[in-house]
Amino acid sequence: MTPSESVTQPDGATQPDGVLGRPEVSAPEPWSFPASQRARLANGLAVVSYDIPGQYVISVCLAVPLPLDREPVDREGIATIMARTLDEGTALHTAEEFAELLERKGIALGAGVSEAGLVVDVDVPKRHLSDALDLLSQAVREPAFPANEVSRHVKTRLAEIDQERAVPGQRAALEFITTYFDSDERASRPTGGAKATVAAITSPDLVAFHAANVAPSGATVVVAGDLSDLDVVSEVEQALGSWSGVPAEAIEPREAARAPDAARVVFVDRPGSVQTEFYVGCPGPDHSVEGGWAAYQVLGFVVGGSPNARVDAVLREDKGFTYGIRSGFRPRRRGGLFLTSGSVRADSTVEALGLLLDILDKAREGFTAEETRAGVDFISKTAPGRYATADAVAEEAATLSLEGLTTDFTTANLLALADVDAAALTAAYDRYVNGEWTVVIVGDASLYAEGVRALNRGPLTVLPA
Amino acid sequence: MPLDYKIAERTLANGLRVIVSEDHSVPNVTVNLWVNVGSRHEVEGRTGFAHLFEHLMFQGSRNVASGEHFSALMAAGGRLNATTWFDRTNYFETVPRGAMDLALWMEADRHGHLLDAVSQENLDNQRDVVKEEKRQRYDNMPYGNALIDIYAAIFPKGHPYHHATIGSMADLDAASLQDVHDFFRSHYGPNNTVLALVGDLAPDEGFASAERYFGSLPATASLRREPVDPLPPLPAPVRDEHIEDVPSDHLYIAFRLPVDDTPEFFASSLALDIIGGLATSRLVRRLVRREQSATSVSAHAMGFVDGISLGFMLIDVAEGFSADAVEAAACEELVRFAEQGPTEIEMESAMAQTERGWLSSLASQEERADQICHSATLQGDAGYLNTYLDRLAEVTPAQVQEAAGRWLRPQSRAVVAYLKQDGATQ
Repeated sequence: MTPSESVTQPDGATQPDGVLGRPEVSAPEPWSFPASQRARLANGLAVVSYDIPGQYVISVCLAVPLPLDREPVDREGIATIMARTLDEGTALHTAEEFAELLERKGIALGAGVSEAGLVVDVDVPKRHLSDALDLLSQAVREPAFPANEVSRHVKTRLAEIDQERAVPGQRAALEFITTYFDSDERASRPTGGAKATVAAITSPDLVAFHAANVAPSGATVVVAGDLSDLDVVSEVEQALGSWSGVPAEAIEPREAARAPDAARVVFVDRPGSVQTEFYVGCPGPDHSVEGGWAAYQVLGFVVGGSPNARVDAVLREDKGFTYGIRSGFRPRRRGGLFLTSGSVRADSTVEALGLLLDILDKAREGFTAEETRAGVDFISKTAPGRYATADAVAEEAATLSLEGLTTDFTTANLLALADVDAAALTAAYDRYVNGEWTVVIVGDASLYAEGVRALNRGPLTVLPA
Repeated sequence: MPLDYKIAERTLANGLRVIVSEDHSVPNVTVNLWVNVGSRHEVEGRTGFAHLFEHLMFQGSRNVASGEHFSALMAAGGRLNATTWFDRTNYFETVPRGAMDLALWMEADRHGHLLDAVSQENLDNQRDVVKEEKRQRYDNMPYGNALIDIYAAIFPKGHPYHHATIGSMADLDAASLQDVHDFFRSHYGPNNTVLALVGDLAPDEGFASAERYFGSLPATASLRREPVDPLPPLPAPVRDEHIEDVPSDHLYIAFRLPVDDTPEFFASSLALDIIGGLATSRLVRRLVRREQSATSVSAHAMGFVDGISLGFMLIDVAEGFSADAVEAAACEELVRFAEQGPTEIEMESAMAQTERGWLSSLASQEERADQICHSATLQGDAGYLNTYLDRLAEVTPAQVQEAAGRWLRPQSRAVVAYLKQDGATQ
């Protein structure tokens, strides 16, 4: 048989009997971000809880402000190693005992750091919440940092650094911060530290770093889930009320400076790559941006948030060069980045990069009312689902707390979406995007570097593998 | 803890099984469809086709333009995607309640009338996209092909699970429009599909909407074959070694496991957790914490329906240690576990972690809908999400030991090793 070779146009008049026309979409029901209860313990720890019926696994997030620039320059990565060793031995328990106490109660405890602070995340079935808070308290207040556990985690991190260099997307991200930020900035170097600084980290370093930086005052503990029949404040008070310690003096955050020569192209050679990884960025705003953050969420979606967004409409759905490239605005405490990243078929490298930069530049000419509406609707109408779980609510609240914000910001931002029109979107994009891109490419330089150079998209540096 | 997620089920005259789970916690509905076709149904020379076909389901159907499934539903506040796996293909969107009918109408259009819109251009484009997916996730990644190697090592050629869902480049190149038509006619149709609606709706509303949009579709899918014959554990060790430019030596130690949804599978899965999956597992205690010959150990059980399942452990060997010695130590622990069985604390830990994992996976409507379709499609029981933990709790330490003794023996292992080029191992 001869298969159909064109897309049938929708035409109600020629539909066979019984086929229903396209249903209309009715307006969504009103919804608001889950309400919080707030308290502050005498030691300064803020307690924020969200009762979300039906969420049987409770999420607890403890967020401690700890700007990465507090790390000693020759021990960068120490905050990451500290996060990973908080539960590897405490005043009362060895590392193995502690792991067993967690697992027997079905508790998952993880910790990590961002540029703004330390977040310890605990998931636990409701009936074991008290045990979980007690163990969280022990890990945060009384970590012992045993030397053998510290050296093990240092070795693991060193192995991880090798892995990061081998994975093209991670390699690109690392080279991007090196290229983009001024070399004096902590932001220009990996959050988890480099080999030399990580290798130097010892148990006494961790004891001192923890004592100086992890304290209740200024920290926030978020508890989200089905909290019926629970007195959360009293549970937290019992576990963390006697936590003491004086935090280091707060440093007013400032925007990390971009390198003077950041607008350039860096091609990291990865011989034999069957794909080429792109990591493209320029400055972006933080949450406090004039005119509001909402427009930037919409921009991320419209430019590079779906298969039909501007980037993938061309590079994926038309050209078939990629499985998907994503764009988005990434706020920091002050300032931020507009990033686009993804990978393309190796032999399309030059054409794909040219197309991508053209799409990003051309977007400065403006956005249509239709794509604006689609973006606004997507961001606002997906909110009930995006914030439906204990995990998502706790993470949102904890992350915002490190910026000095509450989830009132989330609510206000959702309301502000209603005012985002095409003109606002265009103005928001134009405020940050000026065509001065930092471009990092990870791929086979011997085959494609000269073609990229010929695009004339900025000075090109080729780095060996 | 007894779970009581609401489950209401009805089968339409054309065979479509519809399951509604009412939950008014947010004003959304998740629409989730499972089609009982996966890479296990692919024929030789057409590996990767079930997944390529899934991509074509987004390129338009009788009344929906190419790409419109994404654009129309996302603009209505939908989050959506589709995935393909060995046993099945699923399609899903979570939408505001007021967009549920649009979602169902669009799903019915592509599940009933895809072929009106399939074109050579769309096939060629999505073939390219899928090849980039394969390159991104497998070919351009260190260790990226390890799982593919495991499937090939542990299941015999011609077995449904011998080849990975992503398929081969040559087979993707060979896929034709005729294949698309044949595949749709054989496998797609309401009589081979389960539809779950989870969220802000009453069962009767869900059944009525399902009938309205899907009721007129004919029962076109061909009958499913019976599961293939069960496989025993591997009779002798298999080894597949790759010397590559990788940052560290990785050992994947894989085993055949009993077919999913059986006490034997639950028992072997708990055994695997205790040996290598928990943070307090025997291999983590010995290799990671004490000997420090590995930087990490993890373990995974994948339940399948065609006569056999798969379990594997991944050991990341620490710099300066011999992969062979680490493998020998792992084998010692396998033997020891089969001889000793689990301790009380190990059973308690494995059960507790499985419970939390299960409850977490049911926390969102999306995943709950997916689990409902999973068990309704592959196990026949839409209410499995409420009973799984109780059934797991019935597994005894003796059953765990027995399962390990039969399935997790060193002589039944397949090892896929990715070793550094410079020969750092001695």
